[in-house]
Amino acid sequence: MAYGRGRHTPPFVVDERDVKEAEALNVLKVSGWVIAAFVLPCLLLYVCLVFIPILVSIYSGMLDWNGIGASKFIGFANYTKMFTNDSVFWPALGRTFLLAGFSMLVQVPIALFVAILISRYVRRPNFLVSSYFLPVILSVVIIGQLWKTIYNPASMGGMINQILIGLGLDSWMHSWLTEPKVAIFAVILVSLWQYLGYHILIQFTGIQNIPADIYEAAKIDGAEGFKADRYITLPMIVPIFKISVVLSFIGSLQSFDLIMVMTGGGPAHATDVISSHMYNMSFLSMKYGYGSAIATFLVFVCLLATLIINFLFTRLDKRYS
Amino acid sequence: MTKRTRMLGAVMAGVLALSLAACGSGSSNGGDTTTTPADTTTTTTDNGNSNSNEKITITFQNIYPDTTDPKNKMLHKIVDQYQKDHPNITIELDSLNTDQQKLKLKTQAASKEVPDITIVNPAAQMQPFIDADLFAPLNEMIEQNGLKDTFQQGILDYYTFNGNVYALPDGNNIAVVYYNKSLFEKAGVKVPTTFEEMVDVVKQLKAKGITPMAIGEKDSWTGSFLFMNVLLRTNGGPGFLKDVVDGKKTFEDPAFKEAVDAFESLIQAGAFQDGVTSFDYNAGENLFKTGKAAMYFMGSWATGGIETSEAGKDNNVGVFKFPTVKGKGNPDEFMLAPGSAFAVSKDSKHLKETLDFLNYFMLNYPKEAFDAKGAVGIAQTVDGDFKAAGYSDMAMDVLNLFKEVKGGDLAFDNTMNPGTAQAHLSSIQNLFVAKKDASDVAKEHQTAYEENK
Repeated sequence: MAYGRGRHTPPFVVDERDVKEAEALNVLKVSGWVIAAFVLPCLLLYVCLVFIPILVSIYSGMLDWNGIGASKFIGFANYTKMFTNDSVFWPALGRTFLLAGFSMLVQVPIALFVAILISRYVRRPNFLVSSYFLPVILSVVIIGQLWKTIYNPASMGGMINQILIGLGLDSWMHSWLTEPKVAIFAVILVSLWQYLGYHILIQFTGIQNIPADIYEAAKIDGAEGFKADRYITLPMIVPIFKISVVLSFIGSLQSFDLIMVMTGGGPAHATDVISSHMYNMSFLSMKYGYGSAIATFLVFVCLLATLIINFLFTRLDKRYS
Repeated sequence: MTKRTRMLGAVMAGVLALSLAACGSGSSNGGDTTTTPADTTTTTTDNGNSNSNEKITITFQNIYPDTTDPKNKMLHKIVDQYQKDHPNITIELDSLNTDQQKLKLKTQAASKEVPDITIVNPAAQMQPFIDADLFAPLNEMIEQNGLKDTFQQGILDYYTFNGNVYALPDGNNIAVVYYNKSLFEKAGVKVPTTFEEMVDVVKQLKAKGITPMAIGEKDSWTGSFLFMNVLLRTNGGPGFLKDVVDGKKTFEDPAFKEAVDAFESLIQAGAFQDGVTSFDYNAGENLFKTGKAAMYFMGSWATGGIETSEAGKDNNVGVFKFPTVKGKGNPDEFMLAPGSAFAVSKDSKHLKETLDFLNYFMLNYPKEAFDAKGAVGIAQTVDGDFKAAGYSDMAMDVLNLFKEVKGGDLAFDNTMNPGTAQAHLSSIQNLFVAKKDASDVAKEHQTAYEENK
């Protein structure tokens, strides 16, 4: 039975096994209409809350509109301006991908490593995992304010700078959130810190779901410790790892609140990401149409990225199964 | 059984589809469900009001959410009194802080669901709302009970479009420099009378380890407000931005570049606290209020808060006019800040009652503000002896400055369209963290202005 594998297959990929499984699950032999009726509420919610707004955004993205008064249809002019004549757009996009890159290539692997260590060495892991998870449930505003005080200049009692002074490393001191070159990294660090626990939780659960008998069998064959991780944990965690990567990527693309709280995109756009740029344009510069164009672009980047990640992982999945 | 299930399924789906259909026809704006436009219930009241039996709810969006603020108390006092006199009318308060309110109103305006009474900012910031024809003219209303005459001369002009008054301001402020007397004494400096002296004072304060000036530059309008005052001086008088709009000048005018240079000399002298662009408005002001900074440039609306702060005890805080720059300009010309103002929705279901209420509210506003010690910088004339009512020396000083006002300029975002204003704000914010050439800054402004024309 393909159950063991099927369970781990995330909902992003429809493969034939799932379809067959679904047919097998239809033991009550209810008609397709009934199934449709039960799917309908969720589908309608999805259409109303996700699909229609996206369509509206695509339409507003083609308007020259301040959000209040009369609008004018201008086709793709907003997009042309966005790609060719917006000095903030490309750097903001770059910073968004920087954040996504750090999140996918640093945060998620660290989370996996920690999850493996916890599941191997900690006897009652729940407390530890919950503590790592704590920052996730804290409000971003609180986290932002907390880290702002940590990053403060030494004269304002900033913790990092005072520690650096204490260590005699005065030359390493920075005004972390206000130096244009440093600020974005300072914000990224906080974001990585906050969501580390989230990914630890996901992957820890994934590891827990790997049947213990596989490890026992491997033990008999002489594979223990990190060797077992290399040949059992890593291949079997791939589907869960993928969920983590997709979530971290999309989460990074949409990151907004932390940046608003900590720097507001400043100084002078140095920490603007794509979503804060969109906000500034729509609501502060009152170019609602242009803001919608950026939003539409963001939707397509998300879709495209999900497809690419899916493609890469399907190949990875095939290699290991 | 299957038949029954099928029936049930179909009915359920139908019900759900109907109940959800509502969200499809709704608008695309973010999930704003808290304010519905004023709704009427036709149930009759049994307290026998003679005017009308109809129960009326008026939504009053305002920016006085802080319960420690005298304006909040005043608001509740007037509203409570009005409701007592008119038992059939309920005033529903929607109190938000300034930024939230701006955002909420824009969202509401996009779907034409403006609350009965709302808050707008003067001049250019009001223009888009006027263009969209969202507000009711108040011309007739202000004639009733002599309300119009309570307002200061000329103040209503900032809220008048095409001969119609569309909003009534709660304040009329000017920009001043507050200074901490004991810190000035400690550094042995005197109140500067020219900008050059001010830069000098900054250096001397800095040498004594005192933060010379506090500013909350994360909010970016704060720095712009100060910069515009420098520009008001280097331009030799008000009207620079108007000249730009009229095509008589460009941002590459020498007056503008001179202002940038002067402004940068102040920053380079180390005038502001470290990490200045991560301080929001309140955090910046708190530095001054807690006695950690020696000077604070702000609109006179800050007077009340500073008065009651730690730094303001025992008349320790004084005020002075922004000085001349390179001998140019007149210190009696100020940055003017006509306040946020009350506007009435044109589509209000109870337009007459709403206008009536606003009339009552504004008529009582000066007296209540005076009693709550919040009458420094309001837009209406106040009869009353401030000194005898217990206003502080600093408040008296500010009131005296008001008498010397000989015109001035409005803030950048009250004069220019939002697109240009945002570019300007970020350009000025950048000066706090990077040294830039004045002509580059000028060019940046000019480009942004032409793009957003």
